[in-house]
Amino acid sequence: MSERSFSPSRRTVLAGLGSLPLGFSLGAPVLAQAVDVPIGMVLPFSGATGAYGPAMKQAAELVVAKVNNAGGILGGRKVKLIIEDSETSATASVAASKKLLEVDKVEMVGGFWGSPEALAAKPVILASDKVQMLSCAADAVTEGETKGLIYRLQARSSQWGPAGAKVMDKLGAKKVAVLAQQNPFVVAMIEPFKAEMAKLGGEVVEVVMYNPDQASYRAEVEKVFSPSYDAVFCLPLLTDFVSISKEIYRGGFESKVVALGTGADAEGKFIQSVGPEVAEGIYHLQPSPPIDSPSYAKFVQEMGAPEGTVFLFAGNAWDQACIAILAMEHAKTQEAAVWTKSVREVCNPPGEPVDDIVQALAMVREGKKINFNGAGSTCDFDDAGNSLNRTFYVQLIKDGKNTPFAVVS
Amino acid sequence: MIPYLITIAILVIIAALIGLALNLQWGLAGLVNFGVVGFVAIGAYTTALTAPSIGWLPAMILAALIAAALSAGLALLSIRLEENYLAIITIGFGEAVRLVILNEGWLTNGALGIANIQRPFASLTEQFGGDIVFVIFAIGVLAVVFVALEGWTRAPFGRALRAIRDDATISAALGKPVFALRVRAFAIGGAVMGLAGALQAFYLTYIDPSQFSAIVTSYAFMAVIAGGRGSNVGLLVGAGSIMALLEGTRFLKDFISVIDGVQLSALRLGLIGVGIILQLILRPQGLVPEARRKAADVLAKPREAA
Repeated sequence: MSERSFSPSRRTVLAGLGSLPLGFSLGAPVLAQAVDVPIGMVLPFSGATGAYGPAMKQAAELVVAKVNNAGGILGGRKVKLIIEDSETSATASVAASKKLLEVDKVEMVGGFWGSPEALAAKPVILASDKVQMLSCAADAVTEGETKGLIYRLQARSSQWGPAGAKVMDKLGAKKVAVLAQQNPFVVAMIEPFKAEMAKLGGEVVEVVMYNPDQASYRAEVEKVFSPSYDAVFCLPLLTDFVSISKEIYRGGFESKVVALGTGADAEGKFIQSVGPEVAEGIYHLQPSPPIDSPSYAKFVQEMGAPEGTVFLFAGNAWDQACIAILAMEHAKTQEAAVWTKSVREVCNPPGEPVDDIVQALAMVREGKKINFNGAGSTCDFDDAGNSLNRTFYVQLIKDGKNTPFAVVS
Repeated sequence: MIPYLITIAILVIIAALIGLALNLQWGLAGLVNFGVVGFVAIGAYTTALTAPSIGWLPAMILAALIAAALSAGLALLSIRLEENYLAIITIGFGEAVRLVILNEGWLTNGALGIANIQRPFASLTEQFGGDIVFVIFAIGVLAVVFVALEGWTRAPFGRALRAIRDDATISAALGKPVFALRVRAFAIGGAVMGLAGALQAFYLTYIDPSQFSAIVTSYAFMAVIAGGRGSNVGLLVGAGSIMALLEGTRFLKDFISVIDGVQLSALRLGLIGVGIILQLILRPQGLVPEARRKAADVLAKPREAA
């Protein structure tokens, strides 16, 4: 062994630096195969909303597998789905989106469970003239410049609020309070909720906000439940509502509880977490998937979930993948700036309604005008890219089971 | 690929600025600051709120000044405390800043955050496209900060801080104004953190409270530990390697099909933790340790001269 330490000469360093681009050119073909059509998603697998990502991933992968097994798109090319972790962080989502756009050369960046992640990634995606598809609610994402490239599969915050007020009306609740987590999804619902309550002759007496990840929610729960208002509108996510519902149960309060499906259902995870006694009597609402359609039943079965499960975010991911694929086939190109003009052609009425992706692809190839209906919504969009015709599905938890209560629009 | 690398470079620069600041406060002066992210957030929000009315440069200067003033204030309140107690106070400060930003919607737009922040040189950016202009600007900021901090490290100010870090009592006995020096180090560090926040606001053009969680502080500590406490060059290497690990692990799943995305995200932070532990066992002084003069260096000289 030589005693000499490693001391590269100027030439070695220059040669090394000079060969760096070579390394990239070697790596490039592996990362972006010309024959595949790449689409990407940024989903939460870690951080505060990490619980919602895996089901979305599963749904998007199911779509891609179906399409590829049926022969792919654009004359036999395979769809390649690349998924990155958002880490529930706006900063990480920008890095992830940039990686998808520049390294994997995707034509669509979907997913986006959280509004901050979507808002931070929006300028990056629009600058590349690619399509952004959302599963988040904050109105701000589709406001301002969208270049006609943004589509939201979720209901907007300003639609969730009035829907909550209509549920209150159905329950005959006039004096109500709000208990809400301080987050962008929820904050934007409160004013529209108040306005709709006033229109329906009710009154929002009190609004109590709490911070995410609090150690205890007892003080907040006592504050809104002790005065025994007719009902309390809870706007939580899953982990906090598990604690809150136990506090409500412990306190034996009388007010009716109306909560968002994000907390009080979460694809059945809520009842699993707290058990039937605590969950009893809680009403919850969420944008309605096409519950009665046979294709939705098939979707639930393919997801490996019990019959009747209401998927909110997984359905969105499913629809995002379907819409991108159908629009590409319709426009006969993978170029996002071109196929974005086809999205409403294949999604909005008029047209023959179809909800199976393989069948829909075949119809598009035959040149038929279709109206695609997805697993999360009817997939109809207005000019800003927000989804139209959102109805909300209200359920009541009885004996440890979600039971249908009403549909409000 | 290149635009993606530029994005990573900008994120590394922001992390490096935060790390350099912490390296001055903790690495050089021995003051534990677990509230790093609070100062970054203050810098970001000050810039986002004031830039539209006073322009980007005054806004950045204001961000640095406000962060420095708050740092100095916090130091004055708490710096007489011993290490552990200072740590607790700074944790509290970081958390308080986040909660204020989250709940004072009239000022900060609360959880919805502030969107559409104008970057400096917006017209140039359009001309050249992409983030090239911004990365040059960020490198410029980093260079200025690095040269200034490296200068101070070598100056009597830096030597006095190291002496205080190693033994405050002896330094005081030698006539060093321990308290004033500590406050100054804390304030300068705060100013640099404020600048880092300003860069983050400009780069993302959108800020919200969720960006300023405690993980930012953890990354700063990782960078300082990995690089070598007290060494500015080491810090740059440390911040670069932490970010390379964080982003590089994204590619694992593209090459190794056994790991799927969900498992990988759980593994990624774990891998970095294991990396840090291994490094602390195998190379506790850091990748590029602080240059330490031995007594012999000083004592040998007169004999050579003779």
